Amino acid sequence: MGRDTQAVSGVAEYGQQVRLIAGREIICDRDGFFWDPHQWSEEVAMALAEEAGMKELNETQWRILRFLREYYFENGRSPLNRQIKEGTGISLMDLEALFPGGIKYGARRLAGLPNPASCS
Amino acid sequence: MVAFGKIIYLDNAATTFPKPREVLEEMTEVYSSLGVSPGRGSYDLSAEAEERVMAIRHQLSRFFGASDPERVIFSYNATDALNTLIQGLITPGSHVVSSRLEHNSVLRPLYHFKEHGVIDLDLVPFDSEGFIHPTAVAEAIRPNTRFVILTHASNVLGTVQPVEQIGMICRERGVPLLLDVTQTAGLLPIRMNEWGVSAVAFTGHKYLLGPTGIGGLVLSPALDVKTTRFGGTGRDSLSLIHTQAYPHRLEAGTINIAGVFGLSAGLHYVLKQGLEETYTKELAIAKRLRDGLNTIKRIRVYASDRPGQCVPIMMCHFDGMDPEDLSAILDGDFGIATRAGLHCAPLVHQDLGTSPKGGVRLSLGPFNTNEEIDKVLEAMATIFHAR
Repeated sequence: MGRDTQAVSGVAEYGQQVRLIAGREIICDRDGFFWDPHQWSEEVAMALAEEAGMKELNETQWRILRFLREYYFENGRSPLNRQIKEGTGISLMDLEALFPGGIKYGARRLAGLPNPASCS
Repeated sequence: MVAFGKIIYLDNAATTFPKPREVLEEMTEVYSSLGVSPGRGSYDLSAEAEERVMAIRHQLSRFFGASDPERVIFSYNATDALNTLIQGLITPGSHVVSSRLEHNSVLRPLYHFKEHGVIDLDLVPFDSEGFIHPTAVAEAIRPNTRFVILTHASNVLGTVQPVEQIGMICRERGVPLLLDVTQTAGLLPIRMNEWGVSAVAFTGHKYLLGPTGIGGLVLSPALDVKTTRFGGTGRDSLSLIHTQAYPHRLEAGTINIAGVFGLSAGLHYVLKQGLEETYTKELAIAKRLRDGLNTIKRIRVYASDRPGQCVPIMMCHFDGMDPEDLSAILDGDFGIATRAGLHCAPLVHQDLGTSPKGGVRLSLGPFNTNEEIDKVLEAMATIFHAR
C-alpha cells in the first residue's frame, strides 16, 4: 500500500471497505474497485498508480483512463472489450501490458469504475 | 453486436451456441400449433398438447436409460432440478456424500443444509488427473447416508467420473446415487438403470442443444422425492394438498411448454447426428487444441485425454496474467469467446491452486472446427510470445 493510501475501516456490507486514498475516504469493494465512480479524481488515480508501483502515468495511460470514465458516464456502464479497443485505438493486449495490474485490476480499477461482473 | 460467424465460441460448457436452425424451427413450429396449457383444458388442443408432452417424457426416459416416463419431471434448468431433488430428499440428521468437483448448483444447496445443522456432509476428493476414486465414495458412506450426489463430468476439467463403479457401490450399500449430467447429456450415453443411478438432473440448453429455461429430473421408480413447491397441477383441484402422483408431484404451475418442445427438438437433432459421431469429432478437435496449448510455454492445461472419460472442456492457467484479462484479450483482439474465473466450482480451483482468480476455460461445441482451433492457437501464441 502506497504512502497515500490506507485502509480505514474493515469489511461492511457486501465486502465494502472504506479506504483513505490521497486524503479522501473512498468506498471500495473487496477487490479494491470503487463503489461510487464519482469519488474518483486524478489525485486518487495517481495514488492508486503509485500503490501499483508506477511512478507516474504517461499520456497514453491517462488517455485510456479518461476514455473509460467518459464512456462510463455517457453510457451508464463500462465499455465492452471491443469498445475499449475501438475507443482507445490500442489493442487489449497492449493495454494489458501498459498497467501493472493489467486491464481489470490496472486500467479499470485506476479509472475508478465499479467491479465488472464476472464469474469470480 | 458481433454477428455470429465472426466469433469463435468456446463457452459451450456454459451454454451451447448457436443452436441448430432445425431446433429453433421445430420448436417454433410445434409451439405455434400446440402452445396451449397441456392437459388442463377440456378442448382437443389441450389434450393433444398433453399427448405431445407425454411423448417427450417417453423420449427423455429412453434417452437416459430409465424405465418410467411419468418420473420425468421438467424444471427450469439443472440447478432448479438439483434443488428439487436435494430439498426433496434431505432429512434432518442425515448424511450426504458429494465431491470437491461439484458445481455450486450442488454445493450451495448442500452447504445451506450443512450450515443450518440439518445434515452432515462429506466431500470426496479428486486425484491429480481430476477423477474421483470409487473407493473414496465407498469409504465416505455411513449408515445414515441419505444419498450420494456427484457430477458426471467436471465443468472445469471435463473429466468423466467412474459412475458405473460408484453406482455398483451405492447399490450394494442401499444408498441412492444422484447424478448431475449437465455436461454429459447429449455427448455421452447415460444409462440410469444399468449403472444403478437413482436420479439424473439435466439441463436442456447445453449439449442437448435446446433453449435456456428448460431442464429436468429423471427418477428411478425406487426413489421418492418429497414435494417442496406447491401449486396448481391441473389435477385433483378439489384437494388442497398437492398431488403425490408423478410427474405433477414435482411440477407446480404450468411447465415451460416452448422449452419442452425445444428440448425435444434438440434431442432429435443430437440423436440424428449420432452421439458417438459428435463425441468423436469434438474430442478430436479438443485434442488438437490441448496439444497445441501444451506447446506454449507458461500455459498450464488442465484436462483429460482419456477417450470416454472426458468431454471437450479444458481449463488453462497462466502465470503472470489475470485470467479475466486473457479472456478479454481473446475476445476483444481476436474474437474468441472463453470463460474466465472460477466457473462456479470454487473447490476445484482451490484444490488445483488456481483460486481465487481461477483460470480460462475453453469448452468446445458441435460447431467448432479445426480451422477455428488453429486460430485460437495462433492467438495464444501471439499473446504469450509478445510478453
